[in-house]
Amino acid sequence: MGKKIGMLVLALAMLGALRGSALAADTLAEVKKNGVLVAGVKDSLPPFGSVDPKTKEFVGYDIDFVKYLAKKLGVKVEFKPVTSANRMPMLMESRVDILAATMTKNPERAKQIDFSYTYFLTGQKFLAKKGAVKSLKDLEGKKIGTAKGSTSEQNVKKSIPSATVLSFDDYPQGVLAVQQGKVIAVTTDESILAGQLGKLEKNPATKGKFEIPDLSISEEPYGLGMRKGDANFVKFVNDTLLEMEKNGEAKKIFERWFGPNSDSPIARGKFKITADKRGLQ
Amino acid sequence: MNYQFDWAIVASGKYFDWIVSGLYVTIKLSVVSIALSFLVGLVIAIMRMSHVRPVRWFAHGYLEFFRNTPLLVQIFFWYFGSYKILPLAVNDWMVRQDFEFAAAVIALTIYTSAFIAEDIRSGVRSIPKEQMEAARSSGFSYIRSMQYIILPQAVRLTIPPLINQFLNLMKNSSLAMTIGVAELMYQARQVESYTFKGFEAFSAATLVYLALSFTITGLMTLYDKKVLQPIKGR
Repeated sequence: MGKKIGMLVLALAMLGALRGSALAADTLAEVKKNGVLVAGVKDSLPPFGSVDPKTKEFVGYDIDFVKYLAKKLGVKVEFKPVTSANRMPMLMESRVDILAATMTKNPERAKQIDFSYTYFLTGQKFLAKKGAVKSLKDLEGKKIGTAKGSTSEQNVKKSIPSATVLSFDDYPQGVLAVQQGKVIAVTTDESILAGQLGKLEKNPATKGKFEIPDLSISEEPYGLGMRKGDANFVKFVNDTLLEMEKNGEAKKIFERWFGPNSDSPIARGKFKITADKRGLQ
Repeated sequence: MNYQFDWAIVASGKYFDWIVSGLYVTIKLSVVSIALSFLVGLVIAIMRMSHVRPVRWFAHGYLEFFRNTPLLVQIFFWYFGSYKILPLAVNDWMVRQDFEFAAAVIALTIYTSAFIAEDIRSGVRSIPKEQMEAARSSGFSYIRSMQYIILPQAVRLTIPPLINQFLNLMKNSSLAMTIGVAELMYQARQVESYTFKGFEAFSAATLVYLALSFTITGLMTLYDKKVLQPIKGR
């Protein structure tokens, strides 16, 4: 019995140690001191974050923003792959300094972490076989695919309550499920779907068979995620974002990944990086 | 950052209901797969000991193949991989059913049955072979000798390893969440992604899994005491 109690005390002590380690620090100073910025990014989600098969380097829209931040700080970048489900814990447990991982800003998340200004704006749409989905009515009572732990999942449950939502680990699996007719559509932000559609269009077997119907169920502002109360770092990141908009760098990055010659062309429309409060009210 | 514990989240209301519905699916998945894997395991064990060579080889191949590949791969194979080998009409019919659940049951059943078959075979091998000879000379056929004389004793000896296999199956059923089966682990993750209270959500899931394990062990022990012990006629 004494042994058991000892083990329990040890387990509790370990828990305590885990909790104590996550103190709010000054990330900006830390990063400068260590000479490296650790960023949590997606590794299989073009055009935002993926690994280039030839060079084995991370590439994408999110990646370019992180690279610019690091350049401005004069430090090296280390990319760590994260998933929609584990990215917030990774940040809070200080395993990464910043998240650039297609993260939608919303008030619940903002209670846990701090967001930068919106660096990308999109809306949630559907990817389906051509002609399968013409209106939201076509989705009622059907199976719809999405990825675990994402806002997409919560939005689709709200807007089409009669649908069965299947959550996969990642979007490529959801797309596979659409191809095999296991779900009628996969739903998430248009920009991500555009990337997936780009992949389908490149493959002769699937070319021209899929589409993203013009149905939108939400507005999704993406923000870079930082630890709660990390004021210096947040200010630095926000100032840098505004500067990137001013000097044309932000537009250049957008054109590179979403411009007319890219694999997933979408229009930037009126979007500009401003000191906005999107997604936080 | 100081983590604020909030146990009320999983103790009542919407999120509690999610956990309960996950528990229900886990139980359904486990019970169906346990029953099927025991039957399939029994058949494979008998085939494995058959005197007909091709039958024995088939069973041997089955065991080696399914025991030595990861369960996760098998789940993905039945769910995504089966598309390539099933006729389209069958596939479309399956999709309209609860295909996710079915794929999970098939994978769990086949995977676990391979282990169960080996356990049963060990049990049978520990029964003195004179028993089989006596049964055969009394005029029982091979199958009937197995059914009435050998297997009841063998299964009795196999109870402890069987408990282990059933426990493993129940715990492995959490992998079904990877193909969208809304079982306990899936729901715990849902609660976590809605509330960011991961510690509470996964603690709740852990407690429920523990309770399930104790239940399985308890039921098997009870079955052993009440049903099998009297057969043995101590």
